[in-house]
Amino acid sequence: MTVSAAPLLEVSDLRVVFRRRGRADVVAVDGVSLTVEASSTVGIVGESGCGKSVTSLAVLGLLPRRGVEVTGSVRFRGEELLGRSESALAAIRGRELAMVFQDPMTSLNPVLTIGRQITEVLERHKSLAGADARAEAARLLSAVGISDGVRRLRQYPHQLSGGMRQRVMIAIALACQPVMLIADEPTTALDVTIQAQILELLRRLVIDSSSALVLITHDLGVIAGTAEVVHVMYAGRIVESASRRELFARPRHPYTAGLLASVPRLDQPRSDALHPIAGSPRDTLPWSSGCAFAPRCPRRLAECTDGAPALVADGFGHELRCINPVPVEVASP
Amino acid sequence: MNSSPPLLSVQGLEVHFPITSGVLLDRRVGEVRAVDGVDFSVSRGETLGLVGESGCGKSTTGKAILRLVEPTAGSVVFDGVDVVGASGRGLRSLRRRMQMIFQDPYSSLDPRQSVSSILAEPLRTHGLADGRSAIEAEVRRLLDAVGLPASAGGRYPHEFSGGQRQRIGIARALASQPDLIVADEPVSALDVSIQAQVVNLLEELQKEFGLTYLVVAHDLAVVRHMSDRVAVMYLGRLVEVAPSDALYARPLHPYTIALLSAIPIPDPVLEDRRSRILLSGDLPSPAAPPPGCRFHTRCPFRQATRCHDEVPALRALHEGHTVACHYAEEIEAGSILAG
Amino acid sequence: MSLAAAEAAALVVEEGGSLRRDAWQRLRRNPSAIMGAALIVVFVAVAVLAPVLAPYSPRAADLSGIRPGFVPGPSAAHWLGLDQQGRDELSRILYGARYSLLIGVVSLGLGASVGMLLGALAGAFGGWVDNLLMRLMDVMLAIPGLLFAIAVAAVLGRKLSSVMIAIAVVNVPIFARLLRSSMLSQRESDYVVAARSIGVSRWRIVVNHILPNAVAPVIVQATLALATAIIDAAGLAFLGLGSADPGTPEWGRMLAETQRYLQSSPQLAIFPGLAIVLSVVGFNLLGEALREALDPKLRR
Repeated sequence: MTVSAAPLLEVSDLRVVFRRRGRADVVAVDGVSLTVEASSTVGIVGESGCGKSVTSLAVLGLLPRRGVEVTGSVRFRGEELLGRSESALAAIRGRELAMVFQDPMTSLNPVLTIGRQITEVLERHKSLAGADARAEAARLLSAVGISDGVRRLRQYPHQLSGGMRQRVMIAIALACQPVMLIADEPTTALDVTIQAQILELLRRLVIDSSSALVLITHDLGVIAGTAEVVHVMYAGRIVESASRRELFARPRHPYTAGLLASVPRLDQPRSDALHPIAGSPRDTLPWSSGCAFAPRCPRRLAECTDGAPALVADGFGHELRCINPVPVEVASP
Repeated sequence: MNSSPPLLSVQGLEVHFPITSGVLLDRRVGEVRAVDGVDFSVSRGETLGLVGESGCGKSTTGKAILRLVEPTAGSVVFDGVDVVGASGRGLRSLRRRMQMIFQDPYSSLDPRQSVSSILAEPLRTHGLADGRSAIEAEVRRLLDAVGLPASAGGRYPHEFSGGQRQRIGIARALASQPDLIVADEPVSALDVSIQAQVVNLLEELQKEFGLTYLVVAHDLAVVRHMSDRVAVMYLGRLVEVAPSDALYARPLHPYTIALLSAIPIPDPVLEDRRSRILLSGDLPSPAAPPPGCRFHTRCPFRQATRCHDEVPALRALHEGHTVACHYAEEIEAGSILAG
Repeated sequence: MSLAAAEAAALVVEEGGSLRRDAWQRLRRNPSAIMGAALIVVFVAVAVLAPVLAPYSPRAADLSGIRPGFVPGPSAAHWLGLDQQGRDELSRILYGARYSLLIGVVSLGLGASVGMLLGALAGAFGGWVDNLLMRLMDVMLAIPGLLFAIAVAAVLGRKLSSVMIAIAVVNVPIFARLLRSSMLSQRESDYVVAARSIGVSRWRIVVNHILPNAVAPVIVQATLALATAIIDAAGLAFLGLGSADPGTPEWGRMLAETQRYLQSSPQLAIFPGLAIVLSVVGFNLLGEALREALDPKLRR
């Protein structure tokens, strides 16, 4: 991963712990470090509970203040975001750093019109008001593929379909031309044909505006078509990072390989049985005891429970957190 | 093709939900035509996949077959017995032989019942085991069949993970020793790495117990893997029915073609090379479906004649492969291209 | 089966046992629950043991120490002093707990039982039964509670039972609607559909599945309604609708009778008022804590 200019976003050793009264702490994110270059597309892939969503919320400072401990460093355009006041973060959010969430029904305010929700952002960050704001809002709607923008501005979220609501969310996110957009499972709640439309829209908009895109999802297919760099997360840590093509052509971490092998694929002949990963995401060791994936890993060695492996470059374009990864010859197709 | 009569035969099935309005007394102002004329049959031991996106009526079809939702028209015949007209004891004995697996492992198990109690309920309802020890033995057998330890019986649903809960749901469906199981999105609420486990389990159980499956799902890859034949639904009607491999290799209906091209494949090289057929616009409302071919408002292959006023019938183009499209032959031959 | 072995290893049990135990654990750890429970325990203990705890009879009057404008305050012999009729204040407060508890429990018990029965019928049968019952409940809710209490007192006379009937009737529609709506929301749950698909009879579904899951918000409401019932009883007594017997050591009545002493001997109003507040707060705290403990969304 070459670094030319300073990266747009630099996350170093981010750790998020949820403290619950009377019960054990939950370490949702356990030392995540990654960078996002300007105008690049980064994918974070993992299953539920791996910490990918919490990571994005921590970056944006959207986690609750009480009961949550966030340590580490998040530098956006050189400035540290962790620990900043809410008002300082609010000035950045929407303007330079925007987020699109999974469920547009709950992320859009059901009692405000679409127009109001878009102009709210424009008023806050671009000092547009009244007719100017509405005109810009209508323009944004057509940019995201919603026709008849003027009429739509007066509608409420429940009057729009899921796909349209997500487009509105994207319009709101891109209203101020942020330099970075984080999309957390933006298409998971949508039908597959709508998903294709939305992903195509995201790809096009990101290219047009040269913003960086961080795409968070559990769907390997979505990542395969969108991201340039992919990070695979498991139990709160990144376990494999590689370029898109490298990762899919030669998945080296046993988790990544297992995930890819367990999904039935339309481009391959039907097999007799699928090849699942044994156990469940709940069977993890804490990283402090060893590799969290060890209980489920087909390539487990005795040393795997001695201590957590570090994330190291393997010389083949991957960064791996594994002491016994899939050998390069075997993994190649 | 199986020459013996099919286990399940559905003809002209319709499920219309009334839309009412009014303050004191409800007036019927319209209807949502969730299922609007569906015909298919399932042979014994077969797996038929029913796919489509949200609002197409596939879930409602599955529920209507089991009378969990009342069909407003059409017939459902199970092993020679009329399902739609059944009632009382007749319906009860049908219920024993046709079971359902639900989508959401979190809400489909009564949180206040222990696992043994959940599994014992169908046994007690149909008198399949007498006395506590017989029931306990049967519960243990069911748990073992789905890969759960016997100790799971004394526990409660919230102590299990999603995948384990789904196994409990499967065990419950097996308890009455059914012939047919309707699986409504059996794995879509589960993590990817668990889906494969449950899919394998369902297939093992099918072989072991000689089950017949109707799998309702939106994930075409999973459905293709599990099914012998696949039926594609759009806005309450079937648009294409074909053997699994044929449907993927040679989709004939424009909607199926668009659907398949929209599914992301975990292979960057393929993804970059693919030309996607993107559908325009949104799904029309099931309360006001378009006239003629329901898909014509979004169809990239739409023609000037017939599509907007003539309803296409489901007709056979190849052996066992039926399509509901006026121009299916031309599309297949390539003489009509996506506009 | 190797798969079974993997699953067995995977059976990580976070919280063992039924939901009831889970709720109990959460309740135990909640400080407000403990405080509320403590207050309730004291309240009930006082009510039950009043004859044992009270140093004097609540009606024994000793007017010797009373002068116009002066009522003896707390002293060694009378810990809370005397009231305006020369009776021991402490004993009256302690005995007052009996009345409050009696009225609260009886009226609420009656109202909640009838209400829950009607609500269960409406929720189970639906259709015209539901419609009829809910319209009836609407009518009952439209009648202001206070006016109804006055009407009952006018018809049946100024007795404790009039107060109890009035409070009971006011609670009927509240519990009916609560249980009914709780049942309706459970009816849409997947597990109810699952029970239908198994072939379980409708009646059994209601009794075994819907009711047990619908009962939680009703329990919370019952606890909170008990607090309200105590306040309502005190309020009605304050207005003179309670027992006609002038010597009754009922807290609300005591508040009414001591209004004109607020300047000279405010403690006569403060003590019964405080007693009402403490007992009500106890039920409120416990009720809120129960709501949290039984909330399914807070689980896991």
